[in-house]
Amino acid sequence: MVQEQSNLEQTEVVIKVKRYNQEKGEYWSEYKLSVDRFTQMTEVLRRVKTEQDPTIAYRASCHMAVCGSCAMKINGEPRLACKTLALDMVKKYGSNQITVEPMDFFKVEKDLIVDMDDFYARMFTVKPRLYPSEEVLKGNAESRLRPEDQKELWKFAQCIWCGLCVSSCPAVRIDSKFLGPAAHAKGYRFLADPRDTIYDERLKILGDSAWRCTYCYQCFNVCPRDVEPVTTIKKTRAQTRFLKDKTEVVKTGEKHVRAIYESIRDTGKLEEAKVYLTTYGLATAITDMLYTMRNGKMSFALIKEKKVSEIAQIQKLMGEKE
Amino acid sequence: MDKLLYDAVVLGGGLAGLMSAHEIASAGYRVAVISKVFPTRSHSSSAEGGIAAYVKGNSDPNDNPDYMTYDTVKGGDYLVDQDAAELLSQKSGEIVEIMERWGTLFNRQPDGRVALRYFGGQTYPRTRFVGDKTGMALLHTLFERVSGLSVDFFNEWFALDLVLDEKRVAGVLAMEMKSMEPSLFKAKAVVLATGGMGMLYAHTTNAYINTGDGYAMALRAGAALKDPEFVQFHPTALYPSDILISEAARGEGGILRNNKGERFMARYAPKKLDLAPRDIASRSIIIEIREGRGFPGNYVGLDLTHLGESYIKERLALAYEAAMNFAGVDATKEPIPVRPAQHYYMGGVDVDITGTNGDLQGLFAAGEAACVSVHGANRLGSNSLLETLVFGRETGRTVVEYLRTHNESTSTTLEGEAEKLLEQAYSFVKSESGIHFGEIQNKLRQVMWDDVGIFRNEDLLKSGLSEVEKMRTQVKEMYVTDKSKVYNTEFFNALELRNMMDLAVVISKAALVRTESRGAHFRTDYPERDDKNWLKHTIAYLKGNQVEIGYKPVTLTRWQPEARVY
Ligand SMILES: Cc1cc2nc3c(=O)[nH]c(=O)nc-3n(C[C@H](O)[C@H](O)[C@H](O)COP(=O)(O)OP(=O)(O)OC[C@H]3O[C@@H](n4cnc5c(N)ncnc54)[C@H](O)[C@@H]3O)c2cc1C
Ligand code: SF4
Ligand code: SF4
Ligand code: FES
Repeated sequence: MVQEQSNLEQTEVVIKVKRYNQEKGEYWSEYKLSVDRFTQMTEVLRRVKTEQDPTIAYRASCHMAVCGSCAMKINGEPRLACKTLALDMVKKYGSNQITVEPMDFFKVEKDLIVDMDDFYARMFTVKPRLYPSEEVLKGNAESRLRPEDQKELWKFAQCIWCGLCVSSCPAVRIDSKFLGPAAHAKGYRFLADPRDTIYDERLKILGDSAWRCTYCYQCFNVCPRDVEPVTTIKKTRAQTRFLKDKTEVVKTGEKHVRAIYESIRDTGKLEEAKVYLTTYGLATAITDMLYTMRNGKMSFALIKEKKVSEIAQIQKLMGEKE
Repeated sequence: MDKLLYDAVVLGGGLAGLMSAHEIASAGYRVAVISKVFPTRSHSSSAEGGIAAYVKGNSDPNDNPDYMTYDTVKGGDYLVDQDAAELLSQKSGEIVEIMERWGTLFNRQPDGRVALRYFGGQTYPRTRFVGDKTGMALLHTLFERVSGLSVDFFNEWFALDLVLDEKRVAGVLAMEMKSMEPSLFKAKAVVLATGGMGMLYAHTTNAYINTGDGYAMALRAGAALKDPEFVQFHPTALYPSDILISEAARGEGGILRNNKGERFMARYAPKKLDLAPRDIASRSIIIEIREGRGFPGNYVGLDLTHLGESYIKERLALAYEAAMNFAGVDATKEPIPVRPAQHYYMGGVDVDITGTNGDLQGLFAAGEAACVSVHGANRLGSNSLLETLVFGRETGRTVVEYLRTHNESTSTTLEGEAEKLLEQAYSFVKSESGIHFGEIQNKLRQVMWDDVGIFRNEDLLKSGLSEVEKMRTQVKEMYVTDKSKVYNTEFFNALELRNMMDLAVVISKAALVRTESRGAHFRTDYPERDDKNWLKHTIAYLKGNQVEIGYKPVTLTRWQPEARVY
């Protein structure tokens, strides 16, 4: 057989794992092991479990960032363990010690395993499946999809239900009526599918919740699949103008955005918008408003790619697009 | 012990299990799906390159299902049951259309129809795909669909064993991983859709959870495995983490090169070149490495650079991403370092074309857990996703028929049986000292890789078998150090290792007995295919410490064996 050899340079690291179980409560365990530049954190955990401490509990399956099992906090960052190379963490933090903790927000069951039931419940709330027409379902009608629609939808369909975005979303924590980023991404993937037949019902499920997001962009930052849940929330907000029974949250949200928008367009002054803008940054805020003001079916990408730096430019952009 | 009553229990929440459950539930029966992970974490999610299908009106104009069957039969080195392969080809288009209707976002041609690409061993291109995350796209679609039906999901429940009533399967013993509480699931029918067994090998593209549980459960219950010696190795696993670089990479024009920059496949498969089937490509790579034409560390290069950046990033996104993230290689600029790794298990629970096992009434199997056999001695790329869905559905339908025509077990001994099985499992937790699972598991994986791997011979197999037998005895003295009562994953890992051992001994024995080379089973001491003596399926039983080997004829319909050259 081919000689197994690893001629890769080995580095010793210290892995500090936050442990928990019902019997012992919370405590930390430390493990030393040698890794090379390709060693994934899932492999670190597997080696700890098989070579040093079989009691450590964590989830992992695919080791290639598609199953969503291994979400946890590594050096405080919400990450997939398999998508994280141990030595990248060492380099980034300038320390050979790597800490591993369970995800925030969810209840810890044991060590790195958290209870995901609440997450799954949110996902199922948005009716995560296509409801095509009867004709299509029976196979009597062909359902073609334009390549560009496929591309757009696929981006949001790539959510692997890992829960990282929800674990780091501030709105979910304080607002029980907010569905959370992942559910919005999932919901939007079907809301925007031209073959779906329950648009109104979906909009009703998503509309109110969409106005409860704080636009902090945490979900955007942590998502390992680049799903951009916040983008789907923006796109959903842009469609709540089609909503039949608007809740107070939707009405206030839409009104607020319109007021700011008009103020900027008419006076060029940012006074009214100050809070909003300082919180979210100028470019982001303007982009968000434009999203909201427009029909969801217009070309978002165009707007998003424009770099907005000057107020004159903003007004021009608004004028052009209005 | 709690008791739950169902018409049918499906073990496994991957594509095969979900498709069976869909059929059973749609017919109005009560069905439970038990999975040791949340269904979308199943291994099916990792499938990359695509699903093969002849779709009427949307295929190469020269193609037809017969070519597809022929490719499959030849690819499988004539160990394929040809009636099964015919069914697979004929139903392929329909299955893809169903998934499409349910919302799978297949890549499109400019006119909006589903796109297609070449895969190894195909006469005409017929693989349908969603970027290179086809498995994930299909699995999510199907899970989302089935979660809308009245199916009871038992996620993160570990199935320990089948529960028998005489010669008939009457239930399943499973444990909730969170509470560690066991339950007896009583049912008239059980579908094993527990997937593959990559963790038996030191190098594998498979998920950590692929420990062959279903094969072992079937063996312990007295059912046979068919063709257990046939283990597929994929030629292009990323060095060194063994993440799969999909065959799509070669399908889209990727070229294998040695350290001299040579397109070495020209030597081994002059016509098909880099698109030669997996067994041939795997062996070719190992030979190149052995003869000193590999790169330091023992790998070869998979060159995509000529395809251009935008093409690579769009059509081979995952390959690009994996090379970048896990090997620090920019595939648009330099070849991806690859080497072979275990990838798929052609062997499996012996079932016929309907998914029915002949040994135990009430036992059915589908997907990678089953051997129907459509893959024979070597599976063609993108035929397995197809198999999970086509035969998942066939099996589900068979179960529905079975439920209509069979009565419930009246046995009163089931609970006693379940208690006994539970005792056997608990015996690991009870002892106070011994070895823990990890010590044996790592060794087993290395022995299987070294001795029961890509190149086999009598000496290797004999020593491999005796090592495995030794370890199998050790497992009986294994103990679990963790005593906690919530998610005691050490306990489940120990049970998985018990399963791996039961399977390993069967694979090694069957490989030793088959004195020929066919498909993925390559014997350096018997390098030729021997149709006279070996055109037959191996049927293996596990009786205590003995592996009993018998044979079954291969079903031939229209295609007579011919030399397998590419
Ligand atoms: C990296 C990779 C890429 C691939 N790419 C392709 C491709 O492009 N095209 C193609 O056709 N094929 C491909 N394959 C093969 C294909 O993905 C698999 O063969 C197929 O997905 C298997 O599906 P399944 O439903 O049989 O099993 P799985 O999807 O593996 O599901 C098994 C299920 O059984 C459950 N289970 C197992 N044991 C237990 C237990 N003890 N108790 C409870 N539940 C249990 C698991 O939780 C899981 O839900 C690929 C394979 C790999 C490794
Ligand atoms: S942007 Fe919205 S959804 Fe995303 S993390 Fe912030 S509050 Fe949550
Ligand atoms: S949106 Fe991204 S971070 Fe959130 S659950 Fe899905 S994949 Fe994970
Ligand atoms: S193990 Fe599957 S995402 Fe990390």
